[in-house]
Amino acid sequence: MYKGYAMGNGIAKLTERKNLWPWLLLAPLAIYMAVFFLVPLIDVAIMSVTEPRPTLANYQRVLTGSLYLRVFLNTFMTAIMVTFACLLVGYPLAYLMASSKPRTATLILLLVTMSFWTSFLVRTYAWMVLLGTNGPIIWLLQSLGVQQPPQLLFTRFSSTLAMVHILAPYMVMNIYSVMRKIDPVLIRSAESLGAKGLALFRHVYLPLTAPGIANGSVLVLVICLGFYVTPVLLGSPREQMVAGLIGNQIDEFLAFGMGSAMAMVLLVVTLVILTIYHRRFGLDKLWG
Amino acid sequence: MNRFLRWLGIAVVIFIAAPLVIVVPMSFSNARSLQFPPPGYWLGYYQAYFTDWSWLRPTWNSILIATATTVLTMALVVPATFALVRHRFRGKGIADVMMLMPLAVPHIVMAVGYYSYFGAFGIVHTHLGVVLAHTCLSVPIAFLVLSANLKGFDRTLERAALSLGASPARTFIHITLPILRPGLIISALFAFIQSFDETVVAIFISGRDAETLPRKMFDSIRQEADPVIAVISTLLFAAVIVGVTAPLVVARIRSRRSRLAAA
Repeated sequence: MYKGYAMGNGIAKLTERKNLWPWLLLAPLAIYMAVFFLVPLIDVAIMSVTEPRPTLANYQRVLTGSLYLRVFLNTFMTAIMVTFACLLVGYPLAYLMASSKPRTATLILLLVTMSFWTSFLVRTYAWMVLLGTNGPIIWLLQSLGVQQPPQLLFTRFSSTLAMVHILAPYMVMNIYSVMRKIDPVLIRSAESLGAKGLALFRHVYLPLTAPGIANGSVLVLVICLGFYVTPVLLGSPREQMVAGLIGNQIDEFLAFGMGSAMAMVLLVVTLVILTIYHRRFGLDKLWG
Repeated sequence: MNRFLRWLGIAVVIFIAAPLVIVVPMSFSNARSLQFPPPGYWLGYYQAYFTDWSWLRPTWNSILIATATTVLTMALVVPATFALVRHRFRGKGIADVMMLMPLAVPHIVMAVGYYSYFGAFGIVHTHLGVVLAHTCLSVPIAFLVLSANLKGFDRTLERAALSLGASPARTFIHITLPILRPGLIISALFAFIQSFDETVVAIFISGRDAETLPRKMFDSIRQEADPVIAVISTLLFAAVIVGVTAPLVVARIRSRRSRLAAA
């Protein structure tokens, strides 16, 4: 035991002097991430300019071809719409939680947490049931007297709705964590100074909750831009999003060059959004 | 204003809950295709799931891959987290960013990379390939949980042990690890769930041999929804309910017990 003590101390002294200890602890992970994360990522960048021939032709097609531009635009518009809808859905729910009794708040939080942890696939499947031709929503429309109910499934509407449902928990949790910390004294003093209704909300409550809105929105926007599963399963095959189109290039056409070029554009857009966010708020807060 | 937001909130509760709840009756339905409300109820599709190897094998693959991913992730992340939280050194900023990078890269981008990169090594469509890829995606999540725990660690306890003559190794095993245990368990659990749920990379690189459950579900939903999907969805949802409520139940039992002890 004493020997162990002396030895441990010795190693500690040796490594502390040269400050090697943190490097030794970090090295396995750093090497692993370099080999199995960075290299594959760099591989995508290389393929985008070498497959099938070493030119910039892939980027030229991706950035000027009307098909690809339309898909990128469509993806961006969808992501913004989903973010906005998540905000509309998430804000009232977070407010309901923040303003209810602890018991109710816990119950709602439980529900949101359950939704958060339930697989994307399960929730996507649930929307397939809800919106299907033999599903409850079509049935409801029919019993309300709609003769020819519209096609709901496999449209932009169904995939957008499902994505809002799937991503709303991210928004709710971010906004709720900010709302919960708002000092009620601030609201009361604003009220005592004469603020009420919409004015109270606009000038006091909304600015106080802005950090939560920013966090939630960036997270939802970024996840939605690269969303694969739900748009592919529920969306219209004619109005794909970027991730679905990248998938097609790989598993149907084996067009690694085009797939990689689109992947790089998606990656750059995502990183730009996150970098702007990082400059203003700090990334560690986003997932923390 | 308050009232309006509240009513809207209640509507949203229904919007969030309805899709989760609907999969449960669907799993007992005897309809061959998607139909709600179900025309009749039976347990046939549960039997189908528990006897059909085309469903059981992916389930087993997922459990295996997620377990291996968790072990590998923790082996890499635990020492690295100690380095990053407790030491200051040059390059720390870059290392921090590297740890979180996988969260910022869309999974479809990584899927393209792994498909080609692992293809070159001949490990695409193998368990090993999926584990190696999933570990990268689990690292940031395990790191975030563990580093939050380690930052809140009261180091005076370790100093006390050392000053009483315990060796650094003994201090680590008898003081540091036990205190850190909840953080370690949660971080391992998150790594496991991340791998078990991961869909996009698995779709592209798990192939037929290492097919994971999410990949099988994805293919099956794409090909006009095999009713067994409802069974698996219900089982997964049940697991989530247990996982989310268990900590609350345990906390309640504990507080009741301590109240009894006090009385």
